[in-house]
Amino acid sequence: MNIAVLLKQVPDTTAKITVSNGKVDENSVSKWSMSPYDEYALESGLQMKEATGGILIAIACGPERNKKMLTDAAAVGVDTLIHISADGNFDSTQVQNFLAAAIKNNGVNVVLCGKQAADTNSGSTGPGVAEILDAACVTMVSEVSFVENKFISVRPSISGTEKVSTNGMSVFTFDKGVSELRRPNVRGIMMAKKKVIETIKPEELGLKEEDSERIILQAQNSPPEKEPGQIFEGVGEIPTIISKLRNEANVI
Amino acid sequence: MGYEALDFYEVDSLLSDEERMVRDMVRDWVDEEVIPNIENACREGVFPDEWRVALGEMGVLGAPLKGYDCPGLSYTAYGVICRELERGDSGLRSFASVQGSLAMYPIWDFGSEEQKNYYLPKMASGEWIGCFGLTEPDYGSNPGDMITKAEDVGDHYILNGAKMWITNGTISDLAVVWAKLDGVIRGFIVEKNDPGFSAPEMKGKHSLKASVTSELVFQDCKIPKNRLLPGVKGLRGPFSCLNNARFGISWGAVGAAQACFYSAKDYAMSRIQFDHPIASYQLVQNKLSWMLREITKAQLLAYHLGQKKDSGDWIPEHISLAKMNNVDIALEIARVARDIHGANGILDEYPVMRHMANLESVKTYEGTHDIHNLILGRHITGIQSFTREI
Repeated sequence: MNIAVLLKQVPDTTAKITVSNGKVDENSVSKWSMSPYDEYALESGLQMKEATGGILIAIACGPERNKKMLTDAAAVGVDTLIHISADGNFDSTQVQNFLAAAIKNNGVNVVLCGKQAADTNSGSTGPGVAEILDAACVTMVSEVSFVENKFISVRPSISGTEKVSTNGMSVFTFDKGVSELRRPNVRGIMMAKKKVIETIKPEELGLKEEDSERIILQAQNSPPEKEPGQIFEGVGEIPTIISKLRNEANVI
Repeated sequence: MGYEALDFYEVDSLLSDEERMVRDMVRDWVDEEVIPNIENACREGVFPDEWRVALGEMGVLGAPLKGYDCPGLSYTAYGVICRELERGDSGLRSFASVQGSLAMYPIWDFGSEEQKNYYLPKMASGEWIGCFGLTEPDYGSNPGDMITKAEDVGDHYILNGAKMWITNGTISDLAVVWAKLDGVIRGFIVEKNDPGFSAPEMKGKHSLKASVTSELVFQDCKIPKNRLLPGVKGLRGPFSCLNNARFGISWGAVGAAQACFYSAKDYAMSRIQFDHPIASYQLVQNKLSWMLREITKAQLLAYHLGQKKDSGDWIPEHISLAKMNNVDIALEIARVARDIHGANGILDEYPVMRHMANLESVKTYEGTHDIHNLILGRHITGIQSFTREI
């Protein structure tokens, strides 16, 4: 079985984000990391690979720096690394087309990804790729396994959780999964170093970068500055504080 | 905010991709598993067994050794591992130094094929812990006059004597013990259940509290003939182990210094006195800039020494200089960092006093600061000054 995991590189959650001229300044991002929900998808992919004896393929779309993330993925056990070298602005539909084309080219049986990326939070990649591939799509899963030729996934429901089974080509988007991404080890790192990253340009997938750009990001803004805290001094202020805690903060 | 190691000259940009990946792996582990638990481990005076398991799983034990399921990394990578571990705690780095450089290395370099195949895979995986018995109660800087002795009684050896200040001793599955056989220093592998061997723990340390320190006692300890390390005679055996451990320490001390700098800078930026952050005062800035200066120099020493170790173009005196200098400045940085933290610096909410107390041991073990000066003095003048018999 060929299992694909879609990985997106995003600014690390601890990195400081600066906005200049209405756009996030990517050069100022000190650390790029794998999007946290993608980590759950990757761990699930590793477990499925171990359980089925399949091949795990990691696919990332973005600039050159994505190669580091792919090598990190190889260090924990990914077999095949595919980098869609797309340096520029693409809307979600374009990226979905790139990813779907790479998935088709590799005879993939199942696709795993995060429910949304930590930077854009669009949440459209999984369902979008499923649409292009005409695949079943189950969102917000916490675990996926392959049992008797069916994919069994667990997702939240009105009753707590529900089990969903799908046949054939399926796409799963991960919420917080049941197991954290495993740590690499030295042996994995040494193997990863030798692994070749297959780099593909969008035009090699039969797609053009300028095709279908329909969603245009107009401007990005920093979050509003936090209002300064309020300082109260003296015993006489206690009723005011209590009233504010009760009526404004609603904490007592 | 995550930990950002001070690297003013971007020395880490000189590392290979593989070395950087190993660095990130160990750094993340220290952030997630060591820093949240270290103060508790110190309070209880234990080395958490999960750390042994994790070090084995990460595959960093015996880092530069090749073959026999050992990692086969560069010496520079070994240095980076030591640095990241000691950023957590010197006791943790001590565990890895002893396991890799002092217990695995002599078996790897001087052991028989049978010994290597039997012990090294178990030690690389962390399944078995090793320790190193050289220092004795009365012979520290002068190990050549050790009194522990081995006797050949036909089908086995009998060991008698005592070793002291042995990291990992009580929790070890095996000890590499140096003892005199017919007056010549030889290495022996002693296993924990060998008759006549015991390893009581030394209690009451104010330093390296999360590391186990022990005595090794041999009372007519009987060990099989095949436990002698065949490949070395004399002090060259233990000294070649110490060279590797000291190399790791020269990197490790940088990690402890970086941790102290990070905490001191953070504290100075947020601590308000006289209406302003103390980081805005010249005396504090002077302290921070001195730390940056010394850490940068220490990083360059460690990195260049790593390159020399990897190319094979090194002499023990190179290691003496780096061990002595880097531990010295790390200890002083820890003291100054404690000072910047004011009274808060004595609390275990901050890592500085723990590093400071740890580094007092690190300054003394693996060749004291002064002994390394004498090694360099001998190198410069050609005159040894260790003893009066010149």
